[in-house]
Amino acid sequence: MKRQRRPTAWLICGGLWVVVASFGCGSRPPVGKRVIVLGFDGMDYGLTRRLMSEGRLPNFERLSRIGTFQPLGTSIPPQSPVAWSNFITGMDAGGHGIYDFLHRDSLTLTPYLSTSRTEPPGHILKFGRWQLPLSGGKMELLRHGTPFWEVLEQHGIPTTVIRIPANFPPSGSASRELSGMGTPDIVGSSGMFSFFTTAPERITDKVTGGTVYGIELENGVFKGKLKGPPNPLSSTGDTVKADFTVHVDASRPVAKIVLGDQEVILQEGEWSEWLDVKFTLLRFVQTLRGMCRFYVRRVHPEFELYVTPINLDPFHPAMPISTPAEFAGDLARATGRYYTQEMPEETKALRSGVFDDADFMRQASMVVEEEQRLYQYVLGGFEDGFLFYYFGNTDQISHMMWRAMDPSHPAHDPVADEPYRHVIEDLYVEADRIVGETLEQLGDDETLFVMSDHGFAPWTRSFNVNTWLKENGYLALKDPSRQGELEYFQNVDWSRTQAYALGLNSLYINVRGREGVGSVPRGQRQIVLDEIARGLMRYVDPKTGQRAIANVYSRDEVYQDREYLDIGPDLILGFARGVRGSDESALGQLSSEIIFDNTSKWSGDHMADHEVIPGILLSNRPLQRSVTSLKNLAAAVLAEFGIEGFPPRE
Amino acid sequence: MGGSKIKLDKDLLAKVKRYAELAGYSSPEEFITHAVEKELAKLEDADSEDEIRRRLKGLGYIS
Repeated sequence: MKRQRRPTAWLICGGLWVVVASFGCGSRPPVGKRVIVLGFDGMDYGLTRRLMSEGRLPNFERLSRIGTFQPLGTSIPPQSPVAWSNFITGMDAGGHGIYDFLHRDSLTLTPYLSTSRTEPPGHILKFGRWQLPLSGGKMELLRHGTPFWEVLEQHGIPTTVIRIPANFPPSGSASRELSGMGTPDIVGSSGMFSFFTTAPERITDKVTGGTVYGIELENGVFKGKLKGPPNPLSSTGDTVKADFTVHVDASRPVAKIVLGDQEVILQEGEWSEWLDVKFTLLRFVQTLRGMCRFYVRRVHPEFELYVTPINLDPFHPAMPISTPAEFAGDLARATGRYYTQEMPEETKALRSGVFDDADFMRQASMVVEEEQRLYQYVLGGFEDGFLFYYFGNTDQISHMMWRAMDPSHPAHDPVADEPYRHVIEDLYVEADRIVGETLEQLGDDETLFVMSDHGFAPWTRSFNVNTWLKENGYLALKDPSRQGELEYFQNVDWSRTQAYALGLNSLYINVRGREGVGSVPRGQRQIVLDEIARGLMRYVDPKTGQRAIANVYSRDEVYQDREYLDIGPDLILGFARGVRGSDESALGQLSSEIIFDNTSKWSGDHMADHEVIPGILLSNRPLQRSVTSLKNLAAAVLAEFGIEGFPPRE
Repeated sequence: MGGSKIKLDKDLLAKVKRYAELAGYSSPEEFITHAVEKELAKLEDADSEDEIRRRLKGLGYIS
């Protein structure tokens, strides 16, 4: 193995020679050791083992011979924000307080994203229709506990943490951080695309995660607007917009797009580079900056234009996305601008029919290219200390393409899926190549961990937990004739409801005095909880004859860490392999049936029982400390530096 | 200013007057109104239902 340590290195990147900055000790004395953790979201142990046995992952195979290859116990439930928080803090959900993608305010039952929240500005000065925030708003990370890199830094070890999930806004305790999953687009969502089309009738599926605009061309010209967030300087909360114009060539498949002072000419099927989007908040005084890419999907006979969610611009981020603040821009200067929003693979456009499989795979491959450019740059400059780097495409593409490799899946189409049958396996092969490239950089006494947060499983059957609760007398409707129509529990009669489900694995008892509309006396909570758990465990899917739920866990029993136990769900559902909670149930909507086929392109998932879908752990040498699950992985990382005692106990 | 009168402790009122001036509010009433509005917004959740829907569905995990 080669050892490569230079203050400044050069690297071939996209055919160009670029200077690579060094990420290391700065003014501190060098540690003289490097430890790298590569995180491949959703990389499945069973699939990895099979591909290794087929000889398709030679670098993984090499690690298994010289170091470690084992299943890695995931979190309960095995959702990414929960799982990565287990790794980051060395605690379970009871300790770090992240139980699900979605939590609820117990008083109002309003759902919210679990990992971060926005606080409005403290002081506002109003004048006419304008208002001036006198102090800034605040983004707050809701994950509790000490991130392991903070302990490394306390021991003088410089850390670089790139895109680890559940770390937005960035903790501020690493030498260098770039936030990942949890980072919003400019409107504060997980990524809202725009689609402008002269044939909106083509989109017949429900569109979520984006907006479809029906448009008309006038003499080949269309004037459109990109929507930003509500103007924080306007007392009426008007949404800010940025104008753009499209000129469509009358005969050729070409369009010109003008956005601000930028002009691009795109052929049909072509993507623009990242373009600046400037929203005027107060003319001549205040501008909000973002960036987007345009994709001319079709020109004739119908015109279709996709615009990415407006991402935070790493050169001018409107919210904190890196430590130090200029690090995001430094990376962009070296490698080109990149997606800053979380989970950028455009799953929503594919799911709603705006994209077809080819569009999706092309866009996802652009994300992969950006990730790899960034990784090569960071790895090339990594000289000393600790580096974590996250790859998300193994998760997002597995979600969408599982059907293509599984002929028994209800969404499988033997003809249309054929070109994509191997895309997930190809991603694993690509991960193996990245591992090989990394190994070349490390010395014999340096450590490489390769890990994933959970495995993967088909999602063939959708289970509506709220419908099951209703059918079994635990949830009552105000108007039973409207079952399946209203979201957010709008049709629920709380006075007669003992339990409700919200989020992807969470079930709550409607406790009086805790829930704003509680009906179950505290003394009855355990009785109701036990009864529901037994009932769910007995439920058999009428189509498969198999149980739909593999395990039901009580938060009071399953979590060892307890500081934030009180905000968690009362029961955590571990679905059987192939089953997932339905979309409707996750947002408090019932359906006509308890369980039904999943025919969506979102065809793989990881909400099954944690025992069903472990992640992976590999290393290039025997580890100083054994690892069984995500919870004790960080302790093993610290042990490579001779540090014990994680997580710190106060 | 219309509406009901609310009694405040004398010391608290003195503090309100001092900090309202320091923070650039035009009057103690404006400061108090803003502080109360902010607390209410927290309780009611400042996000509109559309905003919540957009954020949650943007996840991809839920359509």
